[in-house]
Amino acid sequence: MAAQTLPFYERVEEALHNPMLQTALERTTERFVGNRRGALEALNDADALRDQARAIRAKVLSRLDELLSKLAENVERRGGHVCWAADGAAARQYILDLAKARNVKLIVKSKSMASEEIHLNQALEAAGLEVAETDLGEYIIQLAGETPSHIIAPAVHKTREQVAELFTKHLGMPPTDDIQTMVHLAREVLRQRFLRADMGISGVNFGIAESGAVTLVTNEGNGRLTTTTPRIHVAVMGIERVVENLDDLGVLLQVLARSATGQKLSVYTSMVSGPARPGEHDGPEEFHLVLLDNGRSQILGTHYAESLLCIRCGACLNICPVYQSIGGHAYGGVYPGPIGAVLTPLLEPELRDVHYLAQASSLCGACQDVCPVRIAIPELLLRLRADAVKAGKADITERATIAGWKTAMTSPLLYRASGRMASLGTRLIGRKGRIRRLPPPLSAWTRRRDFPTFAPVSFQEMWEQRQRSKS
Amino acid sequence: MTHNSDQRSARDAMLSRIRASLAKQRPQLEALAAQAPHAPPPFVHPPAEELAEQFAQELERLQGNVYRCPDDAAALEHIRTLLTKHNATSVIAWEFEQIGLSGLKELLEDLQIVKLDSVALGPDRAERLQQLEPAQICISGADVGIAESGTLMVRGGPQRGRLASLLAPVHIAVLRTSQLVRGLGQALAEIQSRHGPDVFADSSSLTLITGPSRTADIEMTLTHGVHGPREVHVMLIG
Repeated sequence: MAAQTLPFYERVEEALHNPMLQTALERTTERFVGNRRGALEALNDADALRDQARAIRAKVLSRLDELLSKLAENVERRGGHVCWAADGAAARQYILDLAKARNVKLIVKSKSMASEEIHLNQALEAAGLEVAETDLGEYIIQLAGETPSHIIAPAVHKTREQVAELFTKHLGMPPTDDIQTMVHLAREVLRQRFLRADMGISGVNFGIAESGAVTLVTNEGNGRLTTTTPRIHVAVMGIERVVENLDDLGVLLQVLARSATGQKLSVYTSMVSGPARPGEHDGPEEFHLVLLDNGRSQILGTHYAESLLCIRCGACLNICPVYQSIGGHAYGGVYPGPIGAVLTPLLEPELRDVHYLAQASSLCGACQDVCPVRIAIPELLLRLRADAVKAGKADITERATIAGWKTAMTSPLLYRASGRMASLGTRLIGRKGRIRRLPPPLSAWTRRRDFPTFAPVSFQEMWEQRQRSKS
Repeated sequence: MTHNSDQRSARDAMLSRIRASLAKQRPQLEALAAQAPHAPPPFVHPPAEELAEQFAQELERLQGNVYRCPDDAAALEHIRTLLTKHNATSVIAWEFEQIGLSGLKELLEDLQIVKLDSVALGPDRAERLQQLEPAQICISGADVGIAESGTLMVRGGPQRGRLASLLAPVHIAVLRTSQLVRGLGQALAEIQSRHGPDVFADSSSLTLITGPSRTADIEMTLTHGVHGPREVHVMLIG
C-alpha cells in the first residue's frame, strides 16, 4: 500500500487534496450520522439501552477467561474445532494448514476486520489459494488492490466511475455507470464462487458462549452464503467479541445496527453453530473457530482495557470531524477513526508514525457521545499521548515548546511578558485579526488555516482593571 | 493441522495471559458491569396498537411485501400469482409439513412446478448446489415475526434448509399472526421457551431476516438483491 509507506502527515495531506475522496466522505458520513440519530431518537429509552450494552460488554471482559472457555467447550461439543491463536501468525498458520489438509482451492470470505488485522488474504494467496471477498465493498477494493477505508463501508472512497472501470477491466463488463447493472454483475460472478468454494471464512460479530454459536451481521446475505455453501466454515473472532448468552446478544443487536447505519436490525443476523446437524439439508460439514488474541489479552490489563468494549459499529468514524476530513486510509492501520486511533497503536505498535494517531483528534468528544457502549475515547487518546511522551516519542520541537510553555506558565512575570510580546507581535503581522502566515516553525500551523491575533488587552489586565475600579 | 496438544497448551497460555490481566482490571470491570441490568427489554419502541399492522408497515418500509391473508386459501392465491408472475418452473423449499400451509403441495403440482431436492451437502455438494441455483423462488416458514422491525426469525433444523430463504432471487415466507411478537427481546424469550435454553441442539442456525438483501457499497446508493433475495413476500395469515 502506497499510502502506508508515506509519513502520517503526508497521508493526511494527500487525503485532504483528493476531491473524489472528499465528496465520498461527505456523502457517507452525513447519511450515517443522520440515520443513526433518527434511529436512536425513535427508541423508548436509547440511553438506558446503551447503558445496558456497556454493562454487558464490561461483564464479558470481567469474565473473559470463563466465557471463552465455555464458548470453546460448546463449539467442541457440537463437533466444531477451536484454534487458540496467540497472534496473527498462529491464526494464519492454522488456516493454511487446514486448507492444505482438506485440499482446499477456492475460498470465499465475508467481511472480517479481524482477518484484515492479520493480513490473512495475502498469506492465503501467497500459498496459491484463490480468495474471493464477497461483501460488495470488499470485493471492489480487492479488485483495486486496496484496503478498507471504513469499518462498515469499505469502498466508501470509490466513485461509481472508478468501480465501473474496475469491473470493465477485471470482469469484462461493457462500459456503464449504472449501479444496478454493476451490482447484478457482482452477484453473478460471486454466486459461482459461492457454489464452488471449498471453504468459507467469516468474521464474527459476537460469539455466544452458552450456545457455542457465532453471530454474523450483514445486509447483503454474503455472510449467510459464506457460512452455508462451502463444506468448511472458518470463523475468525477477536477474543473480546464473546457474549454470555442469547439475551445479552439481544441487547447488543439492538444498538449495533442503529449505531452503524440507522437500521433497526441489519437485514441478516445469522447465528450459526457448528457443522450441520443430522437431518439438516445444508450447512458446512466442518466448523473451525479461530480465537484471535493478537495483543488483546495484554490490553485487558492496562488502562486501555475499555477500548475492548468496542462492537465495531463505526459510529465514531462517521461523527468525527477528523475522519470526515481525512477518511480511513490516512490512519494507516486496519481500524480507522477515533477508535482506530486508540486501537492501532495498541494492536500494531510497529506501524510507522503510529503514535501520531492520538494527535489526530481535537478531543471534541463527539465519538464518546455516539458510542453505543460509551467508550471514553478522548480520555484514552489523552493517555496515549501521555504514554508516548513518557516513552520519549515526542519530537524536539514539541519538547522545546512545552518546556518553554512550562517556564512561562510557572513564572507570573514571564507569563505576563510573553503574553504582551505575543499580543504585540501577532497584531504587527496580522490583518483584521487574522494571520495568514506565521514564521517557521509555527508556519506548520498556518499552512492550512489562519491564526487569530492576540487581544490587545489580556484577561489578566482586564481583571486587574476591574478590581481597581470596584475598590 | 496443529495437534490437539498444541491447541491445549495454546489455550492454557492464552487463558493465563487473560487471568494475569484481569488480576489488575477485574474490579473496575465488575463495577462497570454492575451499573445496568443485563436482561434485554422485551421491545424498544413505543408499543403500537396492532402487531400485524406494525409488522406490515415496518417490512414495507424496507421494500418487503406483506399480504394480509384471512385464511390459508387466500395465502395460496397470492402464492399462485407470484409463481405465475415469475414464470417459476422450480422452487427451493422447506418440507411441506414444516411450512404448514395446507394445499401448497397441490398448488405446485397444479402449476407443474418442481420442488427441488434441497439437500446441498455431502460428497456431491457442488453438483447439488448447481442444480438448486436456477430456481427462481424459495419458500420457507418462519418461527417468530418481530413487529417493531418487520423481522422474520427463522430456525433451521431437519427439513428446514437455510437455502430456502436465501438462494433464489425471490423469497416467499409463511407466517401466522399468532407468531407475532412486539420486539426482539420477546422473540428471543419465545424461541427459548419453545426449544429450551439450547436453541441449537438440533439446529445449526438461527437467522433474523429483516427485508430484502441490500447493499449501499457503491456511492451509498441503495440496491436490492446483491447476494440474498431481492424480493421478500410474507404471507401473514390470520
